[in-house]
Amino acid sequence: MKRAQVLACLALVALAGCSSGSGGGKEPPPPPPPPPPISQAEAYRFLNQASFGATEAEAERLRAMGIEAWIDEQMGLPMSRQLPHLQALPPPTFMFELQPDRADIWFRNALHGPDQLRQRVAFALSEIMVVSELGVLSDQPFALASYYDTLAAHAFGNYRDLIEAVTLHPAMGAYLSMLGNEKPDPARNIRPDENYARELMQLFSIGLVELNPDGSVRLDANDEPVPTYDQAVIEGFAHVFTGWTYAGAPVFQGAFPSEFRQITPMELWPEFHDTGEKLLLRGVTLPPGQGGAADLAAALDNIFNHPNVGPFIAIRLIQRLVTSNPSPGYVARVAAVFDDNGSGVRGDLGAVVRAILTDAEARPANPIEIDGKLKEPLLRLTQLWRAYDAVSASGRYPYNFAYIIFGQGPLQSPSVFNFFSPFYAPPGEIRDSSLVAPELEIATEYLNTFFTNYMFIQTFAWNHTADPANPEITEDTVLIDFAAEAALAADADALIDRVADTLLAGRISTTLRNEIAGMLALVPADQGVLRAAETIYLVVTSPEFAYQR
Amino acid sequence: MSMSKRPLTRRDFLKATSAAATATFAATPGLAYAQMVGSGAPFPDYRALVCVFLYGGNDSFNMLVPRSDAEYGVYAASRQNLAIAQDDLLPISPLTSDGVDYGLHFSMGATRSLFEAGNAAFVTNVGPLIAPTTKDQFFNQSVPLPPQLFSHNDQQDQWLTLRGRSQSKTGWAGRIADLIRLNVADQQMATNASLFGSNLFQAADETIAYVMGPGGPLRFEGLSGDPGAGLAYAQRQAFDRIVDAGYGSIYERGFAAVQRRAIDAADRVSAAIENARAAGAVTTVFPPGQLGTQLDTVAHLIAARDELGMQRQVFFVAAGGFDSHDNQNEDQPGLLANVSDSIAAFFAATVDLGIADAVTTFTQSDFGRTLTSNGDGTDHAWGGNQLVVGGSVAGRELYGSYPLLEIGGADDVGGGRLIPTTSADQFAATLARWFGIPEADLDTVAPHLANFTERDLGFMV
Repeated sequence: MKRAQVLACLALVALAGCSSGSGGGKEPPPPPPPPPPISQAEAYRFLNQASFGATEAEAERLRAMGIEAWIDEQMGLPMSRQLPHLQALPPPTFMFELQPDRADIWFRNALHGPDQLRQRVAFALSEIMVVSELGVLSDQPFALASYYDTLAAHAFGNYRDLIEAVTLHPAMGAYLSMLGNEKPDPARNIRPDENYARELMQLFSIGLVELNPDGSVRLDANDEPVPTYDQAVIEGFAHVFTGWTYAGAPVFQGAFPSEFRQITPMELWPEFHDTGEKLLLRGVTLPPGQGGAADLAAALDNIFNHPNVGPFIAIRLIQRLVTSNPSPGYVARVAAVFDDNGSGVRGDLGAVVRAILTDAEARPANPIEIDGKLKEPLLRLTQLWRAYDAVSASGRYPYNFAYIIFGQGPLQSPSVFNFFSPFYAPPGEIRDSSLVAPELEIATEYLNTFFTNYMFIQTFAWNHTADPANPEITEDTVLIDFAAEAALAADADALIDRVADTLLAGRISTTLRNEIAGMLALVPADQGVLRAAETIYLVVTSPEFAYQR
Repeated sequence: MSMSKRPLTRRDFLKATSAAATATFAATPGLAYAQMVGSGAPFPDYRALVCVFLYGGNDSFNMLVPRSDAEYGVYAASRQNLAIAQDDLLPISPLTSDGVDYGLHFSMGATRSLFEAGNAAFVTNVGPLIAPTTKDQFFNQSVPLPPQLFSHNDQQDQWLTLRGRSQSKTGWAGRIADLIRLNVADQQMATNASLFGSNLFQAADETIAYVMGPGGPLRFEGLSGDPGAGLAYAQRQAFDRIVDAGYGSIYERGFAAVQRRAIDAADRVSAAIENARAAGAVTTVFPPGQLGTQLDTVAHLIAARDELGMQRQVFFVAAGGFDSHDNQNEDQPGLLANVSDSIAAFFAATVDLGIADAVTTFTQSDFGRTLTSNGDGTDHAWGGNQLVVGGSVAGRELYGSYPLLEIGGADDVGGGRLIPTTSADQFAATLARWFGIPEADLDTVAPHLANFTERDLGFMV
């Protein structure tokens, strides 16, 4: 077979998923219809939902193979991890010194990890089941890296396994104080810590009020929302979550968080676990004396089987990946997949992610004004960096100050409530229409200015022409490379077209094009770098770049 | 009798009627303000409210503690390993006594000095309520309760919005700004300014809060409004036109609106702060840290009030770390010292500026914390104590009713979660009235005020 024929066959296999037709006895089943052709713009839309930023190369690949096959491929790729990266570094004097390396490996995986979809979903999960460097985990970088890897490992797994792994992870244990939580001691007026019990239910699984399958709030006969639980249920779960502490700890409370303890699931100390009866959701009661492990399993089952989980997780993942304001139908379709993946399995997150990304509403042919979402600052940054091969002289991306200048960074939320609320609605038309725009909560005047200024420096100064002798440029300064754009910058139209293709899938508004052209008219044609920087700067700070269609 | 020096006893506390309150306030500037706000005329003076939000739920029953043996004994029995030692409490001497001696957390010496000098007061066991609530009413649910009690974000939202069971999406400072928007139409900055990000407190229907950083706004690099600035001027013009272009999605429009406000304010407000710093009128040195930095900036914004044409301002600043589920004994002294020292420095700065009477600082927090311990910390509760500081505070007093800190006592709904005996609506309305909101509009600011006998707690002169 000639090479061209091989390639054609491979392409056909990838496209149609057909067998190679080696001539067995039976008639091969008819191949499924080939996927509909994908436009360049649609490929960009999809990749901005499913990765850390569309690139021309990936868009070409996607168009060749189709969305379903791309998702299949992604879900089969080996996982990019954070923890081995930290463990390979020389041990620091103080643990906190590794936090820049943790940010570094997050950016490396986000920018260069082949498993883009897994990493993007892990990032979404890290904004739902939040732990943060800011607080008690500031000197536990191994715990944070291991926690992130845990989210990534379960990104396409089962939600029930995910919440168990999250519950027993020492990062979560320390962050929401289940670690070292002891049974009641009435003589000392001590009762179980309610922190994890409360946030697990409110933020990670079911929320405060009962939902319909389409995500709308269920109302009682008086048109009031129906609470999912009350204080007695929180106390029931708080009693469940007693008795767990660091693996291999010499004491139940106050053990030093060694590297091993930071990354090893918590262990049960039975003598600190409450043995009484425990009230759970929907009137379920755990019998006394069955032990901490059985209590934990039953309690997580109790949450997992609550009918809210499907719509609750559907809304949050749709908001992180696709749109801030999904229709009830979209939520219901995804929630139905959570409830049953088609094979009778509840909680299949891989199926949920696929349902979210392949739903007709994910990329409507004629978007209306509430479709899509604002891109988070980190995603705007990674899209730019991926598009222009951003790299530092050291090869590192140690941006652990991200939360200060972008309002967010990897596992750097100010609290368990994430950088922004799923319910945030800025004043004006969005709030007046009872819509939400979560990412706008951190698009404040201050942070927008910070971001705009960062982009000014990134484009005009921190680029491929930066002089390493400049004391402002360190070996860790991340530089973008737009030499190719600078080379064709004498032709203003060609330059604008190319940047618009790279960053906006070719869809640039007339205003933005005209304003860039106006600025380029003021810059001499031989100033290629300046002209290209100007063009990229005005695009990446524009409202249309901030918008994920 | 002056309302402002009203004693703390329950008996006296309940004695005041709204009629008496109305009569008293007819003699205050409140009435004049009523006419003014209605007319939309500019205010004749300057006033500022500074909200210091303590995120996470300040354990304020360790901030203000009974010292008398009997009451201290009850406190110590409830708090066990989290109790502050009786001898470590800093004694205070309120002008009116409810028969119990009180002291402050040992790390709050600066607050004690403010208190003893008459420039600080506490409002005790205050929290979100829809109507006065007894323990029986709580358990048989015969009065409406704020939804999702003991949940962080919901109770923060209650304090910031006072929305009760309504779906209102505006904050009480936002409603204040809306009410006075015609009076302050010439201000060059929004009435509401935040140094700690977006917040519901300042969310409004008609006005938009301006969010700056802890050190003030940032200027836009490479964009200049000066026609002589060459490319930077052209770039600013281009940037402006891009921001102002019409957009097809609500997200682009929302983003563009923020950029618009940011560009409009950045240079002007930055310059005003820089000028104020250069003038050196604020000589007080602030403690290092998040809160001190924010309050330092607020002091300089106040110093720049004339340059910006400001008459009424509400500032939102905040500190985090108060969610003391763990390590409370280790963490609380530093947290409270920071609050105390930062607020005291801010008060001193307003004295530097000769404007202490026109600036009132107050704390809010998610909730008080359980009197009981979870081993090394506390969990989410309800009522708590708040600090009010300023030259116009009727200070050296405790307002409201300090509860008996008893597990299973009259105010405890379980685990040492105390039902507030004073509502956040009353707290807010008292501040709003001083700020210039007329009597009739206080119910807009504090929607449940009518459910409480006292429309004014009397802690503002």
